[in-house]
Amino acid sequence: MADKTYWTGSDKYHCDKDLAQVFHISRTLGMPLLIEGEPGTGKTELPIQYARDLGLELFVYPVGSKSNVEQFVASFDHVKYLRDSQVEILNAQREEKGLASKLTTGGRQTENMSDYVVKGPAVNAFLSPNSVLLIDEIDKAPREFPNDLLYALSHRKFILPESGEEISVSEENMPAIVITSNREQELPTAFKGRCIYHYIHFPEADVMRDIIQKHFPQIENKIVDVALDVFYHLRNIGLERAPTTRELLNWLKYIKTYSTEEAIQKIENIEGVGTLIKTQGDLEKIQRHVLRDPDDFKRRSTPN
Amino acid sequence: MFESLPARFRDYDLKADVRTLLLLRRSIERGLIKTLGDMYNVLRGIIVKDPEDMGPYTKAYYAYFLNIDIENGESLHDAIVRSETFRNWREDYLKRHPDLDIDLEELVNRFLDEVHLTTYDIKEIISGRELFDKNDADQPDDDGGNLQEAARKHLEKMADYSDIPLEELLERLEKIRDQQKTNHSGGSHWVGTGGISPYGHGGAARDGIRVGGTGGGKMARMVMGDRKYFPVDMDSIINDNNVDAALASLKGIIEESPYDKLDVDTTIKEGLKRGGLFLPEMKNVEDKKLQVILLIDNGGYSMDPYIITIRELFKKMKTRFAHDLETYYFHNTIYDRVFSDVRRSKPVFIDRFLKKDPNYKVFIIGDASMAPYELNKQSLRTYLKIKKKFKKTVWLNPEPKRYWHHTFTLNIIKQTIDMFPLTPKGIEEAVQEMNRRGNNY
Repeated sequence: MADKTYWTGSDKYHCDKDLAQVFHISRTLGMPLLIEGEPGTGKTELPIQYARDLGLELFVYPVGSKSNVEQFVASFDHVKYLRDSQVEILNAQREEKGLASKLTTGGRQTENMSDYVVKGPAVNAFLSPNSVLLIDEIDKAPREFPNDLLYALSHRKFILPESGEEISVSEENMPAIVITSNREQELPTAFKGRCIYHYIHFPEADVMRDIIQKHFPQIENKIVDVALDVFYHLRNIGLERAPTTRELLNWLKYIKTYSTEEAIQKIENIEGVGTLIKTQGDLEKIQRHVLRDPDDFKRRSTPN
Repeated sequence: MFESLPARFRDYDLKADVRTLLLLRRSIERGLIKTLGDMYNVLRGIIVKDPEDMGPYTKAYYAYFLNIDIENGESLHDAIVRSETFRNWREDYLKRHPDLDIDLEELVNRFLDEVHLTTYDIKEIISGRELFDKNDADQPDDDGGNLQEAARKHLEKMADYSDIPLEELLERLEKIRDQQKTNHSGGSHWVGTGGISPYGHGGAARDGIRVGGTGGGKMARMVMGDRKYFPVDMDSIINDNNVDAALASLKGIIEESPYDKLDVDTTIKEGLKRGGLFLPEMKNVEDKKLQVILLIDNGGYSMDPYIITIRELFKKMKTRFAHDLETYYFHNTIYDRVFSDVRRSKPVFIDRFLKKDPNYKVFIIGDASMAPYELNKQSLRTYLKIKKKFKKTVWLNPEPKRYWHHTFTLNIIKQTIDMFPLTPKGIEEAVQEMNRRGNNY
């Protein structure tokens, strides 16, 4: 019986209430949860932390431009099969000639097709009840990939190639499936229809504070105040690529190695800006902002 | 039950059908929907498939379940305040709290709290309350005691609630929804508190709990106030709002990413070498380079409003995909030269221009409107040459399509080069047309 309890995050992971609820809904209905949202909002972290917190087995399939459904479900190793059948012939010939030494097939039997089936994360997840399956960044996949998944997702059944073995899972034991997307490509409507959909909104300051606390429990409140102020200000000045949660956390990781005063000084001067800003244009824009009106910037970034 | 739901939601351009109803039914069966707030959350997971669906969904939800119509551009607050549902609720609420002194804003907040109260909230409050009471066991407080009792009652009622047969539950939900439309007869049948919430009907218990504006109400407000959660008009001339949608359409001209393909020749050759043992040899099919030339008409006032957005659009494209993008300018029409700078001081002659790689995709952007004598034979010949050299040439026109037939020169040019409106949809069509023409090797 798969876990159907309401999970609200762990001490390491702040799970937004909305996300926690929709995650619970998707598990209760035995449907995959499709999460979209800005990069760095913790989409991938959800299943990872959930599995870790509850001690569940986690299977990950990172999607790339060459992904196909065989890698995800199962593929048949033709080359190995071919080699082994040749080895058999070879061994027979050797025996005929009275040679004792034999080539080994590593315990595989050519009569047994399932010895050559390479199981992918999907089949493995279906085979272990109450597990978690993450399909990461599905928008990177070739167009056909999501459509190929449809059958498996709606029938909860895979048929292994060549061996014809059927792997199915009851709705009860359906693994918790989480699919993430950065929206780089539109997913087919039919595919989305099979999923429970959730769009992660960018966290507001009070939620962000909570997230920071979970990552750096030791950090001083004062530093967080100033950093959040600068961070949200940077997000609002219309950069090409606005900094996200991930970048803020990296920045704080660097900042927190200093004493409080030094740290605040560094934040106000936006030192270590390389962790926050990822394009040349944005960097120039910020430098212009800070240089042109440093007082204004400082005023905004200093708590009253 | 809820037979009219899919149709009513489809009115808002949302995807709702029989499957929506089946899923809704399953959700109720599994005990996911016990309050109106639960209904909002579950249906959102089922129906919303894009952040742009959020706005229409919230509107449809308020119209269908609460009989509150949110006009275009109206804030959620205003829509609620002028609705009859809210008037009835307020009457009822004030009757229950005779000595309450709060302003309208706060009343709306409480209304939203009740509408968006979910089972999760109730559970959280109850567990929180128990914790609190345990810590404070030495200080018996009458109020706190009552609350604790009330919380227990909620819990029991919730358990009771799941015993109700599905059909009856559905019927009740539907009836309560209908009641919003009929005259309010006072008392306990308002959607949020009376009917489908686990509080049951009436009684003091239901007032023991307040969520405090953190839940879905805040989200609904945010959604209504933010354009990001409404679909972009694909037929309007590109502007700051839909430039990203236009960019998405432009992405279509990028060929598919590299993929593996069976290399038949090598497979045969290698197989023969192995004495008939054929192993599949794969080859990687390379990604084709994307090369784009922009020819922008930046003369004349008619083009001024669009130039910045156009440049922004293609600049964004350049930052997202590493490829070749060249921009040239012209005034009204092209004769024997185009210019490589905005001020049109550095000429590039057409003969040289035509020496470029024929794989360039050429976008000519202009209103194609000028005095008839300006579009002479030389200019038309130039267009023909460009079209002949670069097979994938299209014209994007910022002028709304319905005015096109008024302009003489526009129609002449249109006969030479395929013309599309400069809207996200037009760009999409242009890209499809380019791809249809195939590669000119």
